[in-house]
Amino acid sequence: MSEDKQPVSRRQFLNYTLTGVGGFMAAGLMVSPLRMAIDPVLQQDSAEGDFTNVQLAEEDITNEPQRVDWEVDQEDGWYESTVSQTAWVYKDDNGEIVALSPICKHLGCVVSWEGSEEHPERFYCPCHDGLYYKDGENVPGTPPTAGLDIYEHKIENGMLFLGKAQPREEA
Amino acid sequence: MKWVKQDLQQYIQAKEYVDTIIVPLIPFQLSNDASLEKNAFQREVLSLFTRDLEKELSGRILLSPDYHYLASVDKETEINRMNAWIDDIQSQPFQHIFFVSSDSGWKKVEQGLKGTLIWLPAATADSMQPTEIQPIIRNQVQQVSELIRTYWKG
Repeated sequence: MSEDKQPVSRRQFLNYTLTGVGGFMAAGLMVSPLRMAIDPVLQQDSAEGDFTNVQLAEEDITNEPQRVDWEVDQEDGWYESTVSQTAWVYKDDNGEIVALSPICKHLGCVVSWEGSEEHPERFYCPCHDGLYYKDGENVPGTPPTAGLDIYEHKIENGMLFLGKAQPREEA
Repeated sequence: MKWVKQDLQQYIQAKEYVDTIIVPLIPFQLSNDASLEKNAFQREVLSLFTRDLEKELSGRILLSPDYHYLASVDKETEINRMNAWIDDIQSQPFQHIFFVSSDSGWKKVEQGLKGTLIWLPAATADSMQPTEIQPIIRNQVQQVSELIRTYWKG
């Protein structure tokens, strides 16, 4: 009877326990490096919906474009910096909020609403006299070849949140 | 545009639109403890300023790398070396050359410079944090870009 039971010897028992405990320790050590290794994959999703509160209440947005400045943290490889961003925000005729990027599509200067007295009701680029209509479309015959980028936006608790500037779809 | 690979690719294609170059003039020294902090802070402020200025008008200006010189140098001599820079710069179609500096010493020898000197009174370092200085710089950038635009019109 006792032969059938195949009793575990002291040596075997110690071997099993040591392997088991060692295995757990190794697994424990592996968890954090593994988590680190797959970390960028996990973060991608949350980064896409990155909206920033630009400290502007919805009711303060008028039909007249106004300049909004805010700062975002930007990670460029290992180099982290805060980048200041600007948008021109207004409500269009349908009451829809529009947030336009001020970066001229020609060579990247900063445009401003009615920046030139000679061109009322236009976004004006001081570098090469580029003009955009109020909806951000470029005025034909001036240097820019595309309309201003549009920021993604949302309203939360009555405050305006802006995301990334997206180039407009060409029809 | 800045003097970096990516911007220069764009520059080569859009040369005819970029007719203005900005050269920051920055004094360097390590020999005089008393004004070390002041000099370094001047450099920090000036580089913030030129970076913002470049952003504002990036489509028409090229920001040159900083021109460093020894703070103790004789300005008349230094001008020769600077003008060698300018001669090289002028092999490209630049119409307007601006020097930006907080060193008032350049004001006296301005006539010898092949370009326009923009002298900015230096901000004092005593109590100011880089964050407090940001609005001041933004304001200066607005004013200086107004000034540069008057050169473009004239």
